[in-house]
Amino acid sequence: MDALRSYVLLVTWQVLRVRVMLPLAIVVQALLAVGIVLGYPLLFPEIDRTTTLFLATAAPTITLVTMGLVLVPQVVAQAKTEGSLDFLRSLPVPRIVYLFADLTVWLVVVLPGVVFAIVAAQWRFGLDMHVSPLVVPAFLLVAFTATSVGYAIAAVLPPMLANLTTQVLVVFVLMFSPLTFPADRLPGWLAAIHGVLPIQAMGEVVRGTLATNAFPLTLGAFLALGAWCAASFTVTSLVLTRRA
Amino acid sequence: MLTIDGVTKTYRGGVRANDGVHLRVGASEVYGLLGHNGAGKTTLVNQVVGLAAPDAGTIVLDGQDLVADPGLARRLCSIQPQAQVPITGLTPRRAIELTGRLRGGRADDARRRTAALADALDIGEWMDTDAARLSGGVKRLTSFAMAAVVPGRLVILDEPTNDVDPVRRRLLWAQVRALADGGAGVLLVTHNVVEAERSVDRLAILDRGRVVVEGTPVELRASVPDELRLDLTLEPGAEPPDPPAWALRAVRENGHRMVVTVPAFRAGDAAGWALAEQRAGRVEEFGLAPATLEDAYVALVGGTDRAEVRDGRAA
Ligand SMILES: Nc1ncnc2c1ncn2[C@@H]1O[C@H](COP(=O)(O)OP(=O)(O)OP(=O)(O)O)[C@@H](O)[C@H]1O
Ligand SMILES: [Mg+2]
Repeated sequence: MDALRSYVLLVTWQVLRVRVMLPLAIVVQALLAVGIVLGYPLLFPEIDRTTTLFLATAAPTITLVTMGLVLVPQVVAQAKTEGSLDFLRSLPVPRIVYLFADLTVWLVVVLPGVVFAIVAAQWRFGLDMHVSPLVVPAFLLVAFTATSVGYAIAAVLPPMLANLTTQVLVVFVLMFSPLTFPADRLPGWLAAIHGVLPIQAMGEVVRGTLATNAFPLTLGAFLALGAWCAASFTVTSLVLTRRA
Repeated sequence: MLTIDGVTKTYRGGVRANDGVHLRVGASEVYGLLGHNGAGKTTLVNQVVGLAAPDAGTIVLDGQDLVADPGLARRLCSIQPQAQVPITGLTPRRAIELTGRLRGGRADDARRRTAALADALDIGEWMDTDAARLSGGVKRLTSFAMAAVVPGRLVILDEPTNDVDPVRRRLLWAQVRALADGGAGVLLVTHNVVEAERSVDRLAILDRGRVVVEGTPVELRASVPDELRLDLTLEPGAEPPDPPAWALRAVRENGHRMVVTVPAFRAGDAAGWALAEQRAGRVEEFGLAPATLEDAYVALVGGTDRAEVRDGRAA
């Protein structure tokens, strides 16, 4: 009961805090979504149906992943630098509650991008996709994993390093991840890296639920994401609990 | 109430910030913590609230071990950190009320108490201003109110008077006293020795992580017995005077001020010497007064940051 009360109060606090940057975040997500559906086709000489489907389903994944892995760590790193993280840590609120409240707010911030991306893709490609009801848990899981991995990056690394990591990640996600193209096009070493990272699984669950007629959905991808989610959540709460 | 015993803290990298610190703060007591920059004051209070863990020693509040249970420490203590609390996106009213409720206060109590603090600190006109447009002093007072709205058994204030104007500083000290009158212990870090002398019940001076002296302001002042301070305002452009041979210390505070400490029985000589210097055109003004806590402080920790003019001219 106490935990629930603290949770609601902290969500209120953080919503007021991010409210300032919410319009900007939404604009960035909209641009990102439009950029993907308009920009990526330029990379391909001719666009067949599979390519189109890949691009259409990659758009929401990419906005989610970049928001989670770039925006979240940057804002959390800033909170760490300016001391608001330490102040909230000095309040009598269990760390888990604090982390859940923060992640809830981040979910709300990153989810508009999904809507933009799906709308933009439909508008550009006009596909008929067979959407599975599993799409809701799939998106929530991807969003939660991306934000909690992003949070963990900021929690573990010093702010400067966290910001640098996000710069590298954004290029990696946009260019070198099997979201806009099938994984079998990856060279062996990169495929090995993606075998461990959660990005490929994010692409798979989104594709597999947004267009069931074209892509398979595997339990393995869900499990991999669940594991990443749990691991990053654990790491973050340990870091938040640690005393200097 | 709060008992700190043998607390030692070495940061990774080897800085020993606290070295066997002992302190006792009673309920309804305002306890001052003084000491040079880097003396280890913030490190000490961070260990009390569980933001840092000591390597050795115990911190006990009302019989409960705070080191073993940092969650309990956060419930029992409220803290105003030394760094400005960023309340981006909030107004002071929102931030104070939310903090009060997160500290377990009921919504209407938090609202009432926030309004009362705003009045008492005279910041009412900025209570609904967005944080980005607040002045430094109002931010500082807001973060004091956040620590005071639902005070812990122990209220920790790390340099609460920084950035605050002289009038509101008095209002702030009155609220600090009110917290103690309400039964809380107050552990207050400050560099303002003059205000501390007037406002704290007891104090400790930390020097490189160790408590060098602890007691009431009167006891501490008495540790430099029978001394007088002769404050000199120097004539601009003139050669500064040579302190007399019987002076105990002479400290050049800045370009045109010098403080000469003399034994009390030399009061007459001191006045005569200063008058002569004034006539010789080297001194503009002077005043002779009993030693203050600041003198005791400087004598105890050494005026390392000021130019000594005892032997030859100061740089
Ligand atoms: N996180 C940290 N890691 C390593 N060393 C630290 C850390 N925080 C403080 N120190 C060092 O510990 C010593 C004590 O620092 P502390 O902040 O406690 O001093 P302070 O008495 O509060 O000083 P001030 O009056 O300037 O606020 C300093 O030498 C400081 O450099
Ligand atoms: Mg300090």
